[in-house]
Amino acid sequence: MQPYLATLKEARYITGDVKVLSVEINDPVAREAFKYAPGQFAFVSAFGVGESAVTFVSVPHRPGPLEFAIRRVGTVSAALHELDVGATLGVRGPYGNRFPLEDYRGKDILIIGGGIGMAPLRPVINYLLDHHDQYGNLTIINGARSPQDLAFAEEFETWAKAPRTRLELTVDRGDDVWKGRVALVPAVVEELKPSPANCVTITCGPPIMIRFVLQSLKKLGFADSQIVTTLEAKMKCGIGKCARCNVGEKYVCQDGPVFTFDQIATFLEGF
Amino acid sequence: MLNSDLTQQIRDKARELLESKAAECVIGYETGSDGAIARPAFIYSPDGVERLVFDDTCTHNLASYLVNRKGKATAVVLKACDARSLNVLLQEKQVARDKVYAIGVACDGIRQAVWGRPKGELQDRCKACQGHTPPIYDVLIGQPTSPDPPAPSDFSRVAEMEAKTPEERLAFWQRQFARCIRCYACRQICFGCYCQECFVERLDPEWTGIRVAPAQNQMYHIIRAFHLAGRCIACDECQRACPVDIPLSLLNRKLEEETLEMFGHRSGLSAEAQAPMATFRPEELE
Amino acid sequence: MSLSTSSPRTESARRTGQGSVLTKDGLKVWLGRLLESHRVIAPAVEDGVLFFQPVSRPQDVVLEGKTAISPKGWVHPQTEVLFRVERRDGATALESPEEPPQQVLFGVRPCDARGIKHIDKVMLAEPSDGLYARRRERTALVGLACSQAWPECFCTSLGLAPDDASDVDVMLTLAGDIFLARAVTEKGKALLELAPLEDAPAGEPAVAQLAKFPTDGLAPAMKANFDSKYWAAVADRCIHCNICTFVCADCYCFDVRDAHVGGTVERLRCWDSCQAYGFTRIAGGYERRATKGERMRQRFAHKLLYYPEQFGEPLCTGCGRCVVACPVNIDIREIIQDVLKMGVKSATARAE
Repeated sequence: MQPYLATLKEARYITGDVKVLSVEINDPVAREAFKYAPGQFAFVSAFGVGESAVTFVSVPHRPGPLEFAIRRVGTVSAALHELDVGATLGVRGPYGNRFPLEDYRGKDILIIGGGIGMAPLRPVINYLLDHHDQYGNLTIINGARSPQDLAFAEEFETWAKAPRTRLELTVDRGDDVWKGRVALVPAVVEELKPSPANCVTITCGPPIMIRFVLQSLKKLGFADSQIVTTLEAKMKCGIGKCARCNVGEKYVCQDGPVFTFDQIATFLEGF
Repeated sequence: MLNSDLTQQIRDKARELLESKAAECVIGYETGSDGAIARPAFIYSPDGVERLVFDDTCTHNLASYLVNRKGKATAVVLKACDARSLNVLLQEKQVARDKVYAIGVACDGIRQAVWGRPKGELQDRCKACQGHTPPIYDVLIGQPTSPDPPAPSDFSRVAEMEAKTPEERLAFWQRQFARCIRCYACRQICFGCYCQECFVERLDPEWTGIRVAPAQNQMYHIIRAFHLAGRCIACDECQRACPVDIPLSLLNRKLEEETLEMFGHRSGLSAEAQAPMATFRPEELE
Repeated sequence: MSLSTSSPRTESARRTGQGSVLTKDGLKVWLGRLLESHRVIAPAVEDGVLFFQPVSRPQDVVLEGKTAISPKGWVHPQTEVLFRVERRDGATALESPEEPPQQVLFGVRPCDARGIKHIDKVMLAEPSDGLYARRRERTALVGLACSQAWPECFCTSLGLAPDDASDVDVMLTLAGDIFLARAVTEKGKALLELAPLEDAPAGEPAVAQLAKFPTDGLAPAMKANFDSKYWAAVADRCIHCNICTFVCADCYCFDVRDAHVGGTVERLRCWDSCQAYGFTRIAGGYERRATKGERMRQRFAHKLLYYPEQFGEPLCTGCGRCVVACPVNIDIREIIQDVLKMGVKSATARAE
């Protein structure tokens, strides 16, 4: 459970309370050997405060540092926000399963993200964009409480312009300058009416959003097996030992965090 | 030994309260899994009242459960000492008087009892009982056996401890706290420890952290004792719950003695009394 | 050595041949020799409480009675340093903790030894926990068969025996006023070489007899009754302290956080309890198991359903410590029997 020492290369706010940290593992051999995939996560340490499980927002096939999107909610995330560029932090992982993106080849992909829930979806989007010839149409629905809370805004233009890609932004509450959609994410899903035929939906966001998105997708004829999500659970080890992240008999750290909703339906416990 | 008279009266009252829907739940005692020692019981329907018992193993202070039942009409069996904690909870506005129906029991004392083992002698708190009659109740079960005002507290063990040198006392407490496993049974069983988040578990600011070690354990116990000063009603449940026999009541008795000396205050005798640690009088500046 | 043995009892009875007997004085001599080369952790009394602790003199070891807490903490410490964060020449460096000492856990009851085996299965599963593995490698268990059962004991109901030697390195069994000593593993053989074994005639081994209750079909019954109101009803009296999980021979959940010591930072691993509010609370405040019933169910589901699904046996060895320690008498034996009584009937009801 000892992390690699790493250096904070860059830190930038992408919303009012979310910072993307670009992190490079110090030891070149470990850096080279560190292979991860979209959907996996790592523990990021702010030494002196603790460590948290955080999903990768970078994509492995693009060269560059590891990136994590950290929302300031607890003691560890607050400490990570306060680190200066050049500071030492810790990284261990990668842990968990991943989105089985190669299984989705030839399919249309619908991405539905709410708030910081866009974090695990961003590497999926960037992977799909870089391999767009292998996939069908890509639809991205990105919702947030306010225009300032829309994560990864700097990439919206690139995403919107990509071939066979549609980006739909929505906010719960607009402001003076917001000219876009003001609607809840499930309403947008029902308005766009994506076809379930040959389509996979990947969604992540607050539990309440997920619940209503699921209802909307089912109305449109999506089966549970076509809907994929990634679960968040408190965890301390990432390797099936601390016995904290289990939802029923499934350990989010090892059996997940990526699950389809037909898998989730079999869980004994709610999440 | 089952007190069949008290038991029957408690059952009758419980049935009446549940049938009339005056209470949604009656918290009392039932016989535990060793067939001998009582444990807390939550009864929600008149059919369940036959489970209720009262005997000399009914040690638990059932007032501890009241804070979590906030807003729901609850009847609760309270011994004289336990009833004092209801007064403290009322004084601290943790429970609403009209939501609690106090079934006060004039009790003859509780014995030391460990699950599956033969019963022992009368508990220390009962040997030094300050009054068998609850200071607050809606119905009184049993005969009041002691006159008001309540008997004085017994601080003889505090005096014994204070007769030791500071070095001896420090060594004694260090040894006790070193043994603590921080299971928090002492806190969880305490009627007065109702904080949503205890200081010991706070992360921001972090007072003790998760390390279980003598210094941290000592901080936990001493701060907890201070938080109970002027509030502890000496039910000694913390000490009974401790799996490693730390004499916690000794700390509480010391603070009880101090509060008595400094403020003339004895906790839980009335719901209207002012809590010494939550009250300021200008003359205290002197 | 006898081969076909019908029960652990006759097995130990037959191991009374040459060189397998330790007198009580001999045992002290052996302990003295072990103390020269090992840290010896054994039951000893402090302020009237019996618990496993480092001993420095053979005469302090108490082999009668049952410790208040299992010895699991000596392989899976309640608090341990995973690493230290040091500043060296302006750079951050991580220092591993000191290597664990060679230690003997002496007088370990079969239930407690099985508890350690249960924790091994988790901590040594790939990817193995290096620190735990190193401590475990340097730990030998000298078992002690129970000549007496306590009212809360129910090991036989879970497939153990009071003289079960499968999880220790050396097994001691009291017979009259001497001990029968048997090396179970190579590690144990090396330890016993230090013992002044004698050929004295042994008495009849004293092995406790326990009543047994059936536990077959427990995991399916747990699954069938997962959504039962039973859990909330039992949890009504639960005070959600951590006592059951901390005295338990098997519970192993932990927390990891940093602590400051002087100028350095230590990353600590400490026992944690699924019974505590906040155990599953994520940053931002969402608590997945917000009710006492859900938390209590987690403990029993882990022991009687999840762990058996993963490793083939319950995460409970029948030591009964939680039964005695629980201040409000939440009794796992009662729960096992209640769940079996509810059986899979309610599952059918659920499906209907």
